[in-house]
Amino acid sequence: MADTTKAQGSATSSTASKNKLHPLVELQFDRSWQEELQQRLTKNGPWDEWVLYKLAIEAQEARKIDSFDELQALRVLPAFDPMPHQIDTARKVLDGMGGRAILADEVGLGKTIEAGLVLKEYIVRGLVRKTLILVPASLVLQWVRELNQKFGIAAVAQKKAHTWHYDVVVASIDTAKREPHRELLLNTDYDMLIIDEAHKLKNKKTTNYQFVTQLRKKYCLLLTATPVQNELEELYNLITLLKPGQLGGQSEFAANFVVDKRLPKNESDLQGALSGVMIRNRRGDGGIQFTRRIVRNIPLKLSTEEQALYDAVTAFVKQRYQESGGDLTSMLSLVTLQREVCSSRDAVFLTLVNLFKKTPEDSPLRPKIWELVEVIRQIQANTKAETALSLIREVNEKVIVFTEYRATQEYLLQYFRSHDLIAVPYRGGMNRGKKDWMMDMFRGRAQVLIATEAGGEGINLQFCHHMINFDLPWNPMRVEQRIGRVHRLGQTEDVRIYNLCTLGTIEEHIVSLLHEKINLFELVIGELDEILERFEKQDQSLEKQIAKAMLESSGQRELNSRFRQLGHSLSNVRAEQQDWRSQQDGQPFQPLLDAISQPVEVKP
Amino acid sequence: MNTKQIHRFVQHYLESTDCQIIEKSPAHFKVKLSPLADRILTNRPYYWGFVDRTGAEPETMSFLFVTDKERYDRAQEEQAGSEPDQTDAALARSFGYVHGTTAGARMPREDLYYGSRRLEQLFEAARSGGSYVCLFQEPELRKSHPLQSTAYTPWLGVNLMVEFQCDRKREEIHSYGISLATGQVVEQFQERLAGMRMTPRLPPNIHIARSAITLHRAAGLVEQALEKKLRSYDYSWAQEAAERLEEEQQLIAHYYEALLSSAEEEQRANIEAQFENRKAEIDWQYKPRVQASAINCGIFHLAGID
Repeated sequence: MADTTKAQGSATSSTASKNKLHPLVELQFDRSWQEELQQRLTKNGPWDEWVLYKLAIEAQEARKIDSFDELQALRVLPAFDPMPHQIDTARKVLDGMGGRAILADEVGLGKTIEAGLVLKEYIVRGLVRKTLILVPASLVLQWVRELNQKFGIAAVAQKKAHTWHYDVVVASIDTAKREPHRELLLNTDYDMLIIDEAHKLKNKKTTNYQFVTQLRKKYCLLLTATPVQNELEELYNLITLLKPGQLGGQSEFAANFVVDKRLPKNESDLQGALSGVMIRNRRGDGGIQFTRRIVRNIPLKLSTEEQALYDAVTAFVKQRYQESGGDLTSMLSLVTLQREVCSSRDAVFLTLVNLFKKTPEDSPLRPKIWELVEVIRQIQANTKAETALSLIREVNEKVIVFTEYRATQEYLLQYFRSHDLIAVPYRGGMNRGKKDWMMDMFRGRAQVLIATEAGGEGINLQFCHHMINFDLPWNPMRVEQRIGRVHRLGQTEDVRIYNLCTLGTIEEHIVSLLHEKINLFELVIGELDEILERFEKQDQSLEKQIAKAMLESSGQRELNSRFRQLGHSLSNVRAEQQDWRSQQDGQPFQPLLDAISQPVEVKP
Repeated sequence: MNTKQIHRFVQHYLESTDCQIIEKSPAHFKVKLSPLADRILTNRPYYWGFVDRTGAEPETMSFLFVTDKERYDRAQEEQAGSEPDQTDAALARSFGYVHGTTAGARMPREDLYYGSRRLEQLFEAARSGGSYVCLFQEPELRKSHPLQSTAYTPWLGVNLMVEFQCDRKREEIHSYGISLATGQVVEQFQERLAGMRMTPRLPPNIHIARSAITLHRAAGLVEQALEKKLRSYDYSWAQEAAERLEEEQQLIAHYYEALLSSAEEEQRANIEAQFENRKAEIDWQYKPRVQASAINCGIFHLAGID
């Protein structure tokens, strides 16, 4: 019964007819039931049951949409409790904007929730079935999960060609615009198109922009926290994508609203035109008050045996790198080894065994790998685990321990258990039920949750405010994601972050980079993204640069100096970023954006 | 739909599909599905394909359907809090008695609230399983006289879903009955039927009045009646939608005409195609319209000549 085809399509069939109810309104009858009933009468059946007949009408009564504007989405999502500004936004899009809007809330106010509410409302009303959601590749699964869990919308991630036939598909725009997908999508009528991180469409010459222009859609939502960054034309392009003509033609727009590419004029007219298509919520002055993050680095010294393993692995990895002639891509598993050696001997052991198996029997590498395994055998105790244990005892509250490695997780579980500390694991590979179960245990009896990186996303742990980074990822975003599990809306306590930092290893450098140079642990949410984007624009990803510094340095002194350089350029980028931010505040666009935005008060 | 209505709905559905209700309270059902319901509800086409091909004895699934979550959870907690019954346990040991018939069997829990997928599925199942009927009103026992024949009138009954739609939408349900003997049209026909006992078999000692009008003609009368009724409605919503539509059409016309007038020859076709696309999209989005379709319908033979 959903309005899935354009009206022209179904109206031409012989079983429908049209009459005017009003000069503007046609009444269209679907007459297919008459033929069907006649046929069954002729054949004397088959007939359905009276009870089901009554239930059918009862079900339909229950589902009936009584009014044009009362929100239905909330009625069907009893367990879901969006914030007031999110509900307001959904209402505005539905009632005032006809379902085409730019959602331009500041970071962290829940654009995804707003989009989900609008989508759910249209689906419940039978106005939307076919939906395409285009997001950066890294966000695909997060969207799918959120739509399924929060909104009960059966969204699927695009994987194969046939996935496109599902009603609600989430895909990356880079996949979607490539053949053979492109043609398929351009030949589909989408009831709803949603684009996340839409500021990436600010340039109308890009293939992404042209592709989105060509997609046929009824309703459309563009999500971005930064609808305009560098010049007014970006804003014009974005709005033209949504509703061409809303700001006039390009030359009119330039004549009416632009003094200089960074300076608008006739602002009140421009604001008027913008507020018809764009909604922006920003934090009010007393707005979101996040609690503080208190960081403590816990330096620890490896035992002689552990240090021996670290040195042996480092030497082994470096030697392989030199043999490979400086080819970083083939070094992936070895770099992993280097990172694991800072975590636990168990993690190293597993990787070494796998490496051993993969190495041909006559290779000279085999005995070398075996030597390393022998070094592992010498290690009796795990200094880090001991430190973590005493730290947890000292804290004496709920603690979440993050590690990158499954083997470390297993080891810690056993180690804690053997010391009468109740700990539960959490990882990405667990199914939903098991995850919920672990979460319940952690809320209840267990004092410690040990999570691997993959399990980091999608868990909300506001009831806990201590976290230990047992090892540190080399990618700062992953660290931020970890912190974000605990330090988020709803957290009422200051969050304490402990970084275990083994002296004299690469870990010491990483901690110093993340903590002192980026000041990662004290950044405002959303700021890290911007810093990294800037940094990586100039050079390779931080992760890669760390790996290279590690592999190429001939000795401790060179390593130190390379890390100093890295730290230096990070500090610079951060300073630039801050300059840019303060410029933004005094920017010509800021008053414009502020003028069309609603301050909202969000209490944690 | 409140929890009570949901509960009743679920009960009726389970009963009508011959499911075996193992245990129930006002807040839940433990149920072993009938083969019919299992086919419809569990989405196991391969399993049923296997059963059909091999003739194996089907093992249907069992569910715990919770219709009132709060109440059920509270009851469970209280039960868990109270001491387990010692005598029962002792008896169980000596007689090998296992509590409940499904102990050990997997019984997934599903909370049925308005908006949940499972309830939505039950709605859908009811809809497709209750579309077309042909029924007779059961004669009242005390009135029936062995030598006297009661006159029955055949009626066409149809429940119509009317959708008022532009970029927004609302719905109404209209229920019509048309006497095939006289052509009389009755509104709210379903309410009239709701209280009656019906049977699919022709009862004894009745005779059915001859139809004076065809089904086709009767359906025409329904359409006329509905149309007449709908004409008297307020269409300001449509007016507003049409205005928005017109406004948007003007905006894009202005935009694209300017674009076309300054466009290079080779780009024109492309821009024109986009223009047409955009026009169609706006129509699709805003055009006010009303659609009527049948939810279900049937022939009802009712006592009396009307």
